[in-house]
Amino acid sequence: MEPTNVYAYKLVSRKEYFSPGHRACQGCAEALAVRLVGKALGRDTIAASATGCMEVVSTPLPFTNWNVPWIHVAFENAAAVASGAEAGMKALMRKGRLPKKKITFLAMAGDGGTSDIGIQALSGALERGHDFIYVCYDNEAYMNTGIQRSSSTPFGASTTTSPAGKVVPGQVTWKKNMPEIAAAHDIPYVATACPSYPIDLVQKVKKAARIKGPAYIHILSVCPTGWRLPPELSIKAGRLAVETGIFPLYEVEDGRYKFTVEVGILRPVSDYLKIQGRFRHLDEGMTGKIQKRVKEEYERLKKKVKMTQGD
Amino acid sequence: MITFTIDGYEVQAEAGQNVLEVALDKGFDIPHLCYHEALKPYGACRLCVAEVTSGKRTRLTTSCNYPVIEGISVQTSTEKVIRARKMVIELLLARCPDAPIVKDLAREYSVGRPRFTADNDDCILCGLCERVCREVVGPDAITFLGRGSSRKVGPPLEINPKTCIACGACVYICPTDCIKLKENEKERTIVRWGRTLPMKTCVVCGRSFAPWFQLEYFRKITEGIPKDFWDKCLDCR
Repeated sequence: MEPTNVYAYKLVSRKEYFSPGHRACQGCAEALAVRLVGKALGRDTIAASATGCMEVVSTPLPFTNWNVPWIHVAFENAAAVASGAEAGMKALMRKGRLPKKKITFLAMAGDGGTSDIGIQALSGALERGHDFIYVCYDNEAYMNTGIQRSSSTPFGASTTTSPAGKVVPGQVTWKKNMPEIAAAHDIPYVATACPSYPIDLVQKVKKAARIKGPAYIHILSVCPTGWRLPPELSIKAGRLAVETGIFPLYEVEDGRYKFTVEVGILRPVSDYLKIQGRFRHLDEGMTGKIQKRVKEEYERLKKKVKMTQGD
Repeated sequence: MITFTIDGYEVQAEAGQNVLEVALDKGFDIPHLCYHEALKPYGACRLCVAEVTSGKRTRLTTSCNYPVIEGISVQTSTEKVIRARKMVIELLLARCPDAPIVKDLAREYSVGRPRFTADNDDCILCGLCERVCREVVGPDAITFLGRGSSRKVGPPLEINPKTCIACGACVYICPTDCIKLKENEKERTIVRWGRTLPMKTCVVCGRSFAPWFQLEYFRKITEGIPKDFWDKCLDCR
């Protein structure tokens, strides 16, 4: 449970940087996440966005939803373009062509653009240490092109390229742990967030903007269309993902792990799986397998928190 | 619409707005610690000082509570303004040498070691927590105490604040992060105000989700909501 979940909402900026009127599906939690990230970063932001849902729904020519400078780039190089923009602005400010000002550079991509196609550009940018924020909106498949599996698709999920049948039970591999891969670059800040916990998300993005150096934020964005879920349940699904321990909310600051939303007793994963159509075919055995894996990963994360917060 | 100039640029604003609000909206860089768009301006931190010329008179004033007036001209970074701002930062740094936000400002304005006796307080007396409790939340549980150098923020009479619902709005808004919130299955504590409230468990799933007292407060201020609504957690409603 997020403790500051009552009145702190009223204190989040009222200005819109990702304005209403975009063409995202009903109940899209990703659009909500983009909006909150925009509110947290404010007007002095330059965004580089990889191909994906958010590019398609927000900028059908000649319209745009963006009230900040925004660059659309190919699937694989959102991180490279953001680091180039950062380096270029830094050089112009050093030479005095532009007044010195704090500008936040935001690179954003979906899970395909991050964990499949864009991973080498991301890894390079994190390693070079540019002062930028990389936000991955993880909706667990290539939703924009019609629900194809990505390396971020969870085990057992049925997509159009990993359909559930008599022999193969949907996706047969486990979800790639992207936040851990980012944390392995030893960058100053890595966090996971979910728009079902908006204040937590806003605080993490603000922190990432304040910290000098690269920051990576992994946001679980529920996709009602691709997850075969009624749109009114998308916020609840995000909350259940956190409460079942499938997507724990934590941050890694200078190598120190910390849970930002504490979950007392984990809910059973079936609470989360049974509301989604993409997991409809799962039987007891498969659910048990997922439960075991989730528990193991959660325990491992708990150990990391204990180990790095100890001293 | 009211037209005036900021740093020589002509800007337009609605009547009733304040100079800082307009300047931030147009992208002028004015540091501020006690201003928040959801709250009434208070003018406590003095960081947003600017030189305002109205008619023949030019004076140094806080822009957060200076109303926009037709024809005024505002200068946000003259030598006089920067000198005043540096002085304010030096005083803040002497008061709270460990607050990251103050240290960042000191670095930005190249303010070195303050000349004044160092204190090690963690509160800059911006009053945001006090205003958010009164204006946004409503219970008005905390207030300014004392005067002059002994001024501080806390519950009245420095005893357990009886009306505090532990919503954490003050924790969220505090610029120096000096208000901490601790929570476990049994109780939630706002450390700085010494307020501990027992948690309520959901009647359906048995998980604790919010303090008892907070839910009773909501039950009191809301109407037309089923009686058992506040007994269930967010997922069971």
